Amino acid sequence: MFDRRLIQYFDWGLLAITILIGVIGMVVLYSAVSVGEASQQTSIFYKQMIWHAMGMCLMLITFIFSYKYLDKWAPVIYGLSIGLLICVHLFGKHAGGSTRWLPLGPFNLQPSEPVKIAVIIILARYFSKNIRVPGITFRGLMAPMIFTAIPFLLVATQPDLGTAGTILLIAASMAMFSKIDRRTLICVFLIIIIIVPVGWKMLEPYQKERILTLVSPDRDPLGTGYHIRQSKIAVGSGMIFGKGYMQGTQKKLSFLPEQHTDFIFSVLAEEWGFAGSMLLLFLFLLLIAFGLNIAHGCRDSFGTILSVGITVMIFWQVFINIAMVMGLVPVVGMPLPLISYGGSSVITSYIGVGILINISMRRFIT
Amino acid sequence: MNSTRIEKQRYTRRNRRIIMIGGFFSVLYVLIGLKAFYLQVIKDDDLSEKASSQYQKDIQGRGKRGSIYDANYRELAVSADVVEIGVHPQSVRDKENKKITDKRKLAGVVAGALKMNANFLYKKFKSTAPFVWIDRRVTPAKASALKALGFRGFEYFPTYCRVYPQKALAAQVIGFSGTDGDGLEGLEQYYDEDLKGNIRQWTIIRDAMGRIFDRHESCAPGYEGNNLILTIDATIQYIAEKALKKSVQENNAKDGVAIVMDPETGAIKAIANYPSYNPNSFNLFPKETWRNKALTDPFEPGSTMKIFLVAAALESGMCNPETVINCESGQYRIGRNVIHDTHSHDDLTVHDVIKYSSNIGAAKIAEMIGPAALYNTLRNFGFGEKTGIDCPGESKGLLRNYQSWKKIDNATIAFGQGISVSAIQLISAISAVANNGVLMKPYIVKAITDEHGKIIKSFAPIERRNAIMPDTADALIEMMHAVTERDGTGWQAVPVGYTVCGKTGTAQKLNARGTYRNCEYNGLFVGFSPARSPVLAVLVVIDEPQKHHYGGVVAAPVFKEIVHETFNYLNIAPTSTKEQLNVSNGLGKRGGA
Repeated sequence: MFDRRLIQYFDWGLLAITILIGVIGMVVLYSAVSVGEASQQTSIFYKQMIWHAMGMCLMLITFIFSYKYLDKWAPVIYGLSIGLLICVHLFGKHAGGSTRWLPLGPFNLQPSEPVKIAVIIILARYFSKNIRVPGITFRGLMAPMIFTAIPFLLVATQPDLGTAGTILLIAASMAMFSKIDRRTLICVFLIIIIIVPVGWKMLEPYQKERILTLVSPDRDPLGTGYHIRQSKIAVGSGMIFGKGYMQGTQKKLSFLPEQHTDFIFSVLAEEWGFAGSMLLLFLFLLLIAFGLNIAHGCRDSFGTILSVGITVMIFWQVFINIAMVMGLVPVVGMPLPLISYGGSSVITSYIGVGILINISMRRFIT
Repeated sequence: MNSTRIEKQRYTRRNRRIIMIGGFFSVLYVLIGLKAFYLQVIKDDDLSEKASSQYQKDIQGRGKRGSIYDANYRELAVSADVVEIGVHPQSVRDKENKKITDKRKLAGVVAGALKMNANFLYKKFKSTAPFVWIDRRVTPAKASALKALGFRGFEYFPTYCRVYPQKALAAQVIGFSGTDGDGLEGLEQYYDEDLKGNIRQWTIIRDAMGRIFDRHESCAPGYEGNNLILTIDATIQYIAEKALKKSVQENNAKDGVAIVMDPETGAIKAIANYPSYNPNSFNLFPKETWRNKALTDPFEPGSTMKIFLVAAALESGMCNPETVINCESGQYRIGRNVIHDTHSHDDLTVHDVIKYSSNIGAAKIAEMIGPAALYNTLRNFGFGEKTGIDCPGESKGLLRNYQSWKKIDNATIAFGQGISVSAIQLISAISAVANNGVLMKPYIVKAITDEHGKIIKSFAPIERRNAIMPDTADALIEMMHAVTERDGTGWQAVPVGYTVCGKTGTAQKLNARGTYRNCEYNGLFVGFSPARSPVLAVLVVIDEPQKHHYGGVVAAPVFKEIVHETFNYLNIAPTSTKEQLNVSNGLGKRGGA
């Protein structure tokens, strides 16, 4: 079972980058929570430390068993995740206008995070078995659409548009990667063009507001535009080298909304400036490059599609989160992987990286 | 073999797709990179300014306001250090940085330190507002007592509060300044630019909840305002106020005004208004008591105007003090109007027209010299124009151009009806008589000093013009002296041992329709003393006295008291030889030289 080559092929670079990003995340979080109640600050910080530790343990566990078991167990994993999502709807904790968390003793689990990985696994399994040279036809897309639609709807109705959207994006990216038949692709685009205006009407007013605010953030500076305006001010006031660690004024004076969760990048950008932002972006870029390289090096299609799926998951989260902080896309609930406060997100990211390393270290096995 | 080729093809295709994904991601990545570059490097100044404008605020305040002193450097208005105290009711913490929940107990403790009502404080602490003022006039001692308790969440702003230590003394002259430190009335308003401290700036740093975080003060020296040194002497002011008050109260009058002036320079020694108010709590007093009526409220001067009529007559050369006027036995008709005298006279010299204050005599003199001569002399004395005194709100009175006078106007203006003057105009004009005919500009501030007491500006007396020839002034002094002789109308104005020149006046007041009211009068006395070398000019106006209304009865005794006590205060020796003996007998050697 154990092969010496597992160590030989182990992807130390990816592990190092991941841990480095995690450390940066802790450092930034420490500054981000250094305002307000002292007891709350430390509790947030220590909780996140525990999450990182747990995430790293789970990452280790993910290395050990070959990813090929995931292929086998995919339906079970998927089924369990959907079960958890249903549990959220039944017993979930209601907070801040939405029901996203399952209370588990001292911690709350947000099942919509691990669900992303479950969807990636099940889609990877499906696509790897249905690859055809001309591409997947409309009929072939039915099953992945259902696999995606179930968690999408369950998450979107929590409501958590950000995570639901991520699931959709991941699924779409994976489908595109697996090659879709040209006619089918055109059909799907047409359907989307028809659906979008209908979907717009079905959006909640606050969701419409957010999209409108994106177009013109100064429309209502104290309302919806507040988040974007404040975070843009914070990012911009960082200038090239930032105000210095723990010195962010926008952060310190609580002008920044959600500064330890979704908007943590603005704290980093304010205190570390353009240089710091670029450093973090570069590290994430490396992480993604490593992921794509793993996909490139993998010899079986399940592993390839799986690693592509996990890489796009990380990419979309990083991209949407930072673009949102800088006012490029509407404000949606989207954590920055390994940086934002939140256990489920941190653990999911570590597991994702764990799977990537897993695939990487077994690339010699055909 | 074949299958390997297919495998290989599949690999290349797959790798192409991976590279496509990588390329697509890179494009999106470049997009955020560019946006970050735009926000942080290109637009950074703009946004960092926005950031600082949110948490930084410059608050402007003023340095300490200058003081107002009387002629002998006695404090009339000073700025005391006080502390404004406010609180963020939701975030009060104790020494150990623990949030305070028992607000009633907190109110009790704070009330002990500030000596305030605990219930009043409890209401403030219960407030849901992010910030409330507790008290904006706390003495520094109480403020440090509160600071010593170590609570967090309180804000202390050192500032100043205006205090008038002499309370109502000269209140209408000094005026007052509001809570923001702006002069609102009187000298506080007129000299606001000099008194107020320079702008000083605080930079306040606040958080998103509006809590003040930090405060930098750009505190350089030289922020204090300048001080005023007045010509007013607090003692003379007190004498004038006391004498005026007595007469107003005794005669049940509505109000009264008294002015004491140095006729030679125009320096004001006192301006008394009664009723008065306390500028330390000006809000509690009716607004009309704030007004310096000596400047703002013109009135008909009555018989006091005859002095200026005679001045015009002497200047015109058409008559001299001995010219005889037929006073028509008390009744004189001009057109449809009949003029009366209180006591009927037949023939009076010009001298006696003044002494006995004959209206008919005055009217006939006016007819003799004509309106132009009268008008021009009145203008020369400064009637119908502002004196230019350094106080706000001065009225210029009413003196219509003689071309619009009717025949009767000419006659009535001669004895002070159909013309209105302000008290400051009247005393200035009388002072011109005392000052060899030279009209001085009245002034109230003699110097401005900086915060170290160094004089930075001083005001010398200003001559306005020669109102009349010195000879005319001499003749007028003779006549005005006669007024205060035993049988003159103003005999009650003479203090023992001194000589006085003056003129009484009793003017019916106009009502709203412009007709005269029967029972409402102004009783006036205006004059100066000693007669030959005047030191003081004094005007007393008693408005609507009820018991008596003759100026010689209600106003002249006030004049006497003011002059007498002021001369005592100034150590001016009595001059009248006849009285000198009495004084020497009574008071020993005083004035015996």
